[in-house]
Amino acid sequence: MLQLLVGQTLNGVIVGTLYGIIALGVTLTFGITGIVNFALGEFMMIGAYVTWYLFDVAGLPFPVAIGPAVAAAALCGLVADQVLFRFTRNNLINGLLVSIGLISIVEAAALLLWTTTPKDMGYVLTGAVRLGGVSVPKMKLVVFALLAAVMFLTYAALSRTWMGRAAYAYAQNPEAAMLMGVRTGILQSAVVVYSTALAGFGGALYATLYSLEPSMGGLYILKGVEAAILGGIGSLIGSLAGGIILGVTEAVGSIYLPSAFRDAYGLIFVVAILLYRPSGLFGAER
Amino acid sequence: MKALFWVPFLIIPAIVQSNFILSIFIFSFILAIAAVSFNIIFGFTGQLSMFHAAAFGIAAYLTSLIVSYFQVSFWTALVPTLAFTVLISILIGSICFKFQLRAFYFAVVTLAFSELARLVILNWNSVTNGTLGLMVLEKPSVWMPGAGLLKIDGVFSWYYFSLAALIITVALCSLVLNSWIGRSFAAIRLNEDLAQTLGINTFRYKLLSFTLANALAAIAGSLYAFYTGYIEPAYLSINQSLDIISMVLLGGSSSIAGPIAGAFVLTGLPHMIELSGEARAILYGLVLILTILIMPRGLIGTLVGLRRAA
Repeated sequence: MLQLLVGQTLNGVIVGTLYGIIALGVTLTFGITGIVNFALGEFMMIGAYVTWYLFDVAGLPFPVAIGPAVAAAALCGLVADQVLFRFTRNNLINGLLVSIGLISIVEAAALLLWTTTPKDMGYVLTGAVRLGGVSVPKMKLVVFALLAAVMFLTYAALSRTWMGRAAYAYAQNPEAAMLMGVRTGILQSAVVVYSTALAGFGGALYATLYSLEPSMGGLYILKGVEAAILGGIGSLIGSLAGGIILGVTEAVGSIYLPSAFRDAYGLIFVVAILLYRPSGLFGAER
Repeated sequence: MKALFWVPFLIIPAIVQSNFILSIFIFSFILAIAAVSFNIIFGFTGQLSMFHAAAFGIAAYLTSLIVSYFQVSFWTALVPTLAFTVLISILIGSICFKFQLRAFYFAVVTLAFSELARLVILNWNSVTNGTLGLMVLEKPSVWMPGAGLLKIDGVFSWYYFSLAALIITVALCSLVLNSWIGRSFAAIRLNEDLAQTLGINTFRYKLLSFTLANALAAIAGSLYAFYTGYIEPAYLSINQSLDIISMVLLGGSSSIAGPIAGAFVLTGLPHMIELSGEARAILYGLVLILTILIMPRGLIGTLVGLRRAA
């Protein structure tokens, strides 16, 4: 029993970091452009399918396949930003609806390209390590380490570089930041594209662990938004923590409760958080 | 004047004999009820509710299940269904509005409740038969003067039955929206804080708007279930909510006629031209995006604007 509990907790942490990387994109986009990009999950799907194609079909080594996958997601993100999101800045409802429209287009296109048949990628890394009495596949640990590293690098970049501090300044006071020489148009586009690149990276790693379906994006964006709200919108560490909490709750919860309802835990969490602590677990008090 | 608008619809079955085209009209009428009622909370009160499809789907299930379990008529089953819809709307609405959830947060919390409802229906296999759905074999009956009790079966009776339901819904909505209630809704949409300052009990009016919208959606859902003779968990899905939102946005959210126009275009179009499921999803997405970016006032709003400009 204890073994199961530890195993499920570890699984939850790893899935949780995947939620976390989407949540990070959600939080960044919301802070700088004032919209929630619901289509982020679709960019994750693009990253995942490109990785699968390059690794499984074209036979490239995995580390080489990641780069083009992230680039493909970012490129799609750039196009989406210039064609769509540029016109919905700071208009939450329109942004929401435009990104939802984008979901149905991208998902349908993916269905036409790759059909509903799940795609399984061959093993990138085999073997397992023993951790706390349970064996964990090495790949899962690598995925966790890479995602956590990217998230901490993002955090560091935001607090150390000029662009990062400009983003913080913009989130606090757009007019003042503009007057101090922040090119807000470029900053907003950069953040939208960066969040899609993050999603693409998450997707590339997702492809190594689970099978791919065109509908995966819809599920992950819901979890990402839940995690972002849970951790507190605007908090970078909160998005990682929110993702992990969500992942662990789902994994451990399905030991004790019917697993059909695992998607419900996050929803109940989010409702409770929004009612009693709207700024999230790690967000600043309003 | 406005009543004249309906006259062409009354004579259409006399001209168009095709069952196929008439059934498109029936679907449009029923979905127009859902779209018009969604616009009460969205277009007129300015709250993006994601619970609309859930109210539609829950009612579809509840009415059908009550009819098949207790062997009662459609109308008898509709009463507890409406009561239940009103009850959960008040419950969910109270939670959301008591805690001052606005814009995005309201959308997320209502979405959460609607997903919970979908998960319950999806997994309650013994009652709802899970993903496979259920057949609805009964048909509603109405009493007509001279003809006695008439079973609504077949395309012609369904056509007039759903048309009547739509006309009643529109009449009710215009009555409510043109009264002081509608003006309070508009005040909340335009500036909620100011409305509160002016003495409008925003909590109560938002709750009224949410409940009324869901109750009408429940009627649409029940009609839909009995017309198609089939219910499935997809009725409660996010996609169903999006279809309704697309209808409202395409037609225009500032009038009652807008959502009806949107419902007709988006119901009729996919049937008129032969399209695969994927192409249909792409079309829906494009319509949603293009409407927001190019025609934010929708078909009806743009037409009215053109006429004023001319």
